[in-house]
Amino acid sequence: MITADRALMKRVAAGDERAFADLVNRYSARLLTLAWRLLGNRADAEDAVQRALLRLFRSARSYRPEWAVSTWLYRITTNVCVDELRRRAGRPILQQAGEERAAGGQGLRFEEAAGGAGRRLDLKRALLRVPREAGILLALRYVDGLSYHELARVRGISINTVKSQLARGKSILRAALQGGER
Amino acid sequence: MTTPVPMTREQIDQSLVAHFRPVPAGADLTRRVLDRLRENRSWERFAARIDVEASDRGVRLVRPGGGAGAPPSRAAARLAGRARQELHEYFAGRRSFFSVPVDFTGLRPFQRKVLALTHRIPFGETRSYSWIARRIGRPDAVRAVGTALGRNPVPILVPCHRVLRSDGGLGGYAFGLDAKRGLIGLERATPVLEGCATTGILCRVGCPDAQRMRDDSRVVFASVADARSVGYRPCRVCRPADPE
Repeated sequence: MITADRALMKRVAAGDERAFADLVNRYSARLLTLAWRLLGNRADAEDAVQRALLRLFRSARSYRPEWAVSTWLYRITTNVCVDELRRRAGRPILQQAGEERAAGGQGLRFEEAAGGAGRRLDLKRALLRVPREAGILLALRYVDGLSYHELARVRGISINTVKSQLARGKSILRAALQGGER
Repeated sequence: MTTPVPMTREQIDQSLVAHFRPVPAGADLTRRVLDRLRENRSWERFAARIDVEASDRGVRLVRPGGGAGAPPSRAAARLAGRARQELHEYFAGRRSFFSVPVDFTGLRPFQRKVLALTHRIPFGETRSYSWIARRIGRPDAVRAVGTALGRNPVPILVPCHRVLRSDGGLGGYAFGLDAKRGLIGLERATPVLEGCATTGILCRVGCPDAQRMRDDSRVVFASVADARSVGYRPCRVCRPADPE
């Protein structure tokens, strides 16, 4: 898989649109989910993924083969999403809530597994309490099971920081979901 | 507020797995990306033709088409050169702020006020013509604000493209609405806070110290506080700071 990805990237760097399509098809679902969970609605997530892929295509020549293509893709997509979060931080919270509503709260509807909608809603609320960097790592960890090493690369931090951030994020989640200490 | 039903560790883990389970993307994603790739190119020709004139005090004129007059002094030539370099980086998506000064000498006080306020609209954000009119204490002068911005001698450096109509319409732009749309899109696609994974330093995009950063070292952050929380420290040259 990893060598096949690298071969594809080589062709993308040469401007091969079919290779690009193959790469997109391979990762689009995971990238979209990552963006959706980070940004909270599908429209912004689709826009972010498109911009990330645009960046990937344009800068394919700066891809370095010592990176797994998936890690590279997650770096680029996370960068785009995080910048979107920065932009939102400048806007009043009320306006953001309105936008979420306008987006139809689609995040809640499509998945009823693992304990039903109520539990999902609890989880969503609890995730809002997790500090941003820890939340990003949790998303990357759960969307594609990235290793500590890969997470460290995507966010440009040490493996120890990855571990401590994940632990902190999870303990905040647990505190919120288990209703107090345990 | 309802109290959540207590969950076990396994249930939390299962919920996380379910929450982050991949959802299929639209089948036309590739095509949409390639369409965007092509549409973005049309206005870049406009960027390539831009030229700059400066005085000793700052940039006086930014306009497409070249043919700028000879600089009146060495200091002016230096400022014009700096502006060209910064504009080049801006169009390449590697700059989120301009440090070169502008010179409003000779402009009437009203226009000067409008431009000075526009100059402070943050990168990637937009305001309305009426917002400017209110802020300069002339709420009835919305039209005059539009005219003053339409005659902005230093577009891009003074970002009149960030001023839109209150109903979200684009309004006008001296270089055409495609260029205005293009600039707004460019700023959406350019990050503002970038850390270097190798040095652990956080810079504003465009910092001279960060220009040589390798692409695979660039990590975007949403705030200075976020970057600090995972061990980055702010650059002493460009001094990134979170908004109040």
